[in-house]
Amino acid sequence: MKSILKKITLAISITGLFCNISAAQDQPKATGKSEATIGLSYNKKADSKTAVAVVKVKKDGRFVPALNAKVNFYAVHDKEQQLLKSASTDNKGRAVIELQKGLPVDENLASTIVAKIENDKLYENTEEQMHFKEANLTLSLNPADTAHLVTAKLTEMDKDGKEVPVKGAELKFYVQRLFGSMPAGENNTVTTDENGIATFAYSKNIPGDTAGLITVAVKMEDNEQFGSIESKLPAAWGTSLAIIKDPFPRALWGVYAPWPIIITLSTLFGIVWSIYVSIVIKLFKIKKEGGMPNV
Amino acid sequence: MSQLTEDNKENGNETNPESNEAGRRNFLKFGALAAGLTVVGGGLGKVFSSEKEPGEKVKVLNTGDGKVYEADVNHLQECNMPPVSMTEARRGIANKKFVMVIDLAKCDGCKKCTEACQTAHYIPSEREWLKVFKMKESEATAPYFFPKPCFHCDNPPCTKVCPVNATFKRQDGIVLIDNERCIGCRSCMAACPYSTRFFNWSAPSAEEVAAVGNIPYSPERGLPRKMGTVEKCDFCPDMLRQGKMPHCVSGCPMDVIYFGDQNEDAVTNGSGVTVKLSQLLEENNGYRHLEELGTEARVYYLPPKNRKYPVPEMKEDESGEKKDSKPKKMDMGSMQM
Amino acid sequence: MATEKFDLKQEIETLREDCLRPTRTFGRSSQIWVGFLLAVMAWGIFCYIRQLRYGLGVTAMRDYVSWGMYISTFVFFIGISHSGTLVSAILRITKQEWRRPITRSAELLTFVSLCFGGIQPIIDLGHPERILNLVMYGRVQSPLMWDVISIMTYFTGSTVFLFLPMIPDMALCRDRLTVVDTRYKKFKKWLYTKLAIGWKGTKTQWHLLEKTMGTMTIVIIPVAVSVHTVVSYIFAMTLRPGWNSTVFGIYFVAGALYSGSAGVILGMAAFRKIYHFEKYLTPRHFDLIGKVVLALTLVYAYLNMNEYWIPAYKMATAEGHLLSDLFYGNYSKIFWTCQFGTVLIPIVIMSFPKGRKITPLVITCIVIVIGAWVKRYLIVVPTMLHPFLPIQDVTKEWSTYFPNYVEFSVEAASLAGMLLIITMFSKLFPMMAVWEVEEGIEIDYDKEVAVELGKQRIADHAKAAAEAVKVSNGQLKQPA
Ligand code: SF4
Ligand code: SF4
Repeated sequence: MKSILKKITLAISITGLFCNISAAQDQPKATGKSEATIGLSYNKKADSKTAVAVVKVKKDGRFVPALNAKVNFYAVHDKEQQLLKSASTDNKGRAVIELQKGLPVDENLASTIVAKIENDKLYENTEEQMHFKEANLTLSLNPADTAHLVTAKLTEMDKDGKEVPVKGAELKFYVQRLFGSMPAGENNTVTTDENGIATFAYSKNIPGDTAGLITVAVKMEDNEQFGSIESKLPAAWGTSLAIIKDPFPRALWGVYAPWPIIITLSTLFGIVWSIYVSIVIKLFKIKKEGGMPNV
Repeated sequence: MSQLTEDNKENGNETNPESNEAGRRNFLKFGALAAGLTVVGGGLGKVFSSEKEPGEKVKVLNTGDGKVYEADVNHLQECNMPPVSMTEARRGIANKKFVMVIDLAKCDGCKKCTEACQTAHYIPSEREWLKVFKMKESEATAPYFFPKPCFHCDNPPCTKVCPVNATFKRQDGIVLIDNERCIGCRSCMAACPYSTRFFNWSAPSAEEVAAVGNIPYSPERGLPRKMGTVEKCDFCPDMLRQGKMPHCVSGCPMDVIYFGDQNEDAVTNGSGVTVKLSQLLEENNGYRHLEELGTEARVYYLPPKNRKYPVPEMKEDESGEKKDSKPKKMDMGSMQM
Repeated sequence: MATEKFDLKQEIETLREDCLRPTRTFGRSSQIWVGFLLAVMAWGIFCYIRQLRYGLGVTAMRDYVSWGMYISTFVFFIGISHSGTLVSAILRITKQEWRRPITRSAELLTFVSLCFGGIQPIIDLGHPERILNLVMYGRVQSPLMWDVISIMTYFTGSTVFLFLPMIPDMALCRDRLTVVDTRYKKFKKWLYTKLAIGWKGTKTQWHLLEKTMGTMTIVIIPVAVSVHTVVSYIFAMTLRPGWNSTVFGIYFVAGALYSGSAGVILGMAAFRKIYHFEKYLTPRHFDLIGKVVLALTLVYAYLNMNEYWIPAYKMATAEGHLLSDLFYGNYSKIFWTCQFGTVLIPIVIMSFPKGRKITPLVITCIVIVIGAWVKRYLIVVPTMLHPFLPIQDVTKEWSTYFPNYVEFSVEAASLAGMLLIITMFSKLFPMMAVWEVEEGIEIDYDKEVAVELGKQRIADHAKAAAEAVKVSNGQLKQPA
């Protein structure tokens, strides 16, 4: 186990090295360090809360991802900064940390997080902060089969610990696919009404799995107050995938040959080899004949 | 790099996002199929450094029914085994048909996809599993960049000719090679019309051996490399089992490459933007390279229309026919479009 | 006829002695020759071991040209192996009398070139030790598998085909061995006795032998055709420009017959010279087989035209690049030399009776055999260098091909191995089918008697006589 771990570390460090080199090449060499900008966001999913910093540098008038920048994340409490965690950016310039429960909140129930690049070898010092509040996004499906309606309700806690609806937030409706969520339609954005509710009608021919299941996903993206929130729910609304009975048919490219090939080959060569056998039998006859006394 | 098995169905079920009846049934099936499971994800490093944090979730792709589940890392056990059994590696992931779309309009020829691939698979520099060609069909047409992986053909000429079934096509559409069975006859290299296959002419270099280490062999990873056998782009099935996309997809800064499951009619690019496959192909006139060869490729191209970068320059010596003494039109094998 | 039997016997006695003489000596020159061949083989084997140890990277082959000299030579040797079938089987079926002194060497050539042709793909394997995978996991959809099956079948068949007509000769060797002093007497006695499988020349034995010969003669022809057809299929079953051709099966068969029959002439000429068979292999034989080679070259030239002219007329893109490379690109010199020098000019030479005289014919055939090999190379390599996608960003080493010393050494060793087996064979066994030539002499003898009846009637008579002789043959050979 240990050796595998070592290898992974090695692989990671090799990748790191490689990134370093390319990152270094990307940067102007004059100062040695390049100026980076941080974009900070808060993401809430059903099971995780993360803070994401996207670091970019300007190169040839274009912003490109800053690779391998070390970003420190701080929580702010009464003007005091407390280091949460650090993370390095990947090849998309993203540094992600998981946020634990119980972040300090101010009188408006908002939390503040600061992301900083400090004393990095490649990048100048810089920082960015964000404020966000907690919100809850709950989904429900309409029980009737007539229309595939998804209802999303966005709420926040008020100071008394009571849930109050959030009005005027933009929610986007998606279908969860293997590697990401796909917009559920052309215009998948719906604004919540005064009850904090947004409804979207899903199309009826979304491919689902073999049981016809799909996963509905609703997101609020980059809201100024609440950051990003995502919520998911399975629905038996998809067209079910036909199970292929025999995924490995007899085929030229398959493991087993189509019958015509087998039959043709074995007939042709069967005939030839049986003739060979008959000849060997005759040879034995010749031999037997030779063993007899001369006539 | 290691297999983790589910040891607690109950807890696993709690973390299952699909909490309704159907989901529950599937999940129990998944628990029963635990032996054929691969787990891993962002939490990998944590698992190994044994600072397991309670409640951390990893994605689990159930190879039995091809669904992705999430499970608590603490409920997973490590096994020192190759990622999947040989039978499983030959069968592939059920109910999936992997498909790739390459948007030529966005490709600026930076070769970052190739780099990502080379690094991830420890490929020696003289061969490129994913090669970026500079193409020019005729005098008057504009050149463009053309990234070319293995097409994982549905009617694969390479697989047809293999005498020992060392190269095979799986139910998820992926064409792989079993380097422990390959006799090195190179029929498949002659048969592939897209020059996709490479031969291990010599033993892997010492650095590579050191970097790869003594991991158990699996056709899904093709490592450690074996001299005298054939290799090629494999659509990173080890990544797919973890619910992650191939290295080239995430490696491309221009989001040129989309990858997904054709059964779901969706493909996702490196930035995570997921689009409807049929719509993408329809709106952009998607095509397959050398369709007339009938290989039924699983890789589609979107023509370089409305490009997002300047037209590349084509030098004479970059055309395929560099050895030709006579000046003639450049050798662009592709007659597509 | 009865009164002239004494002379006939005398004649046959000379023949037998002429044929057996080479098997009794192993002179200085033979020793040097064998030593030389062994040295070449040893070097080749050394190179091959290096290849096993360090991988096929020690050859000049790389990813674009992944099949090179080994596979070309495979096709070439398998082509040469068609000689035996052609000369023996086809000429036997058509009852060509002049085939008699030629058959043995032709069949032997088939046997050895199949041995060494058959191992070429194995030499070319990256993992020859996994060869058993072909049995354990074999896929009959693979053209390579067809090759394996059909070459094995042909090999077995041609071994039997070589062995059958040797049985009476083995008995002769066995019986004569006791009279003449030789080295390795014990071994030879054992060998001949085993191989003669108790041949006594009884009526039943002759009957059985003739029957088996008859069957084999017919069976071996389709098997031989199948072999070269499926050899062409490892190319033709791909989509590559230049190989993707429906004419390939017959084209390869014709090419095989063309080079194989030329190979037989070379064998004949060599044995004639070395073992003094001038009496039996007359200029007439060379003239006749020269006509056969001429006919086959014409067929081959015709197919060549089909193979190149049809796509050249269309110049479809991918194929067009390949063809322009062959016609006026990198390979043009060698391509046209091949087409003119080894196909068209030989046709012209062999069309004239003077060109079918021994010396010019032998030279022509040497050219044909070399040309056939180069042509195989031209079929394999340029196509590999013209894939659908352009060859870009690769070093010269990876995008060009010329066989290096390893490949040349291994092929030289294969050739040396072939020559060694032929040499050893000729030192052990008579290089002419003694009993067959005997039959011929008897027929000729009868012909002389009837010479005044005119050419037309001679032929008819010979046919009848042949029948008669065949019947009486049994008695003739029985000791008193
Ligand atoms: S692209 Fe080539 S190697 Fe890949 S599946 Fe198709 S034929 Fe086989
Ligand atoms: S080289 Fe290997 S994979 Fe390719 S055809 Fe031969 S045995 Fe099969």
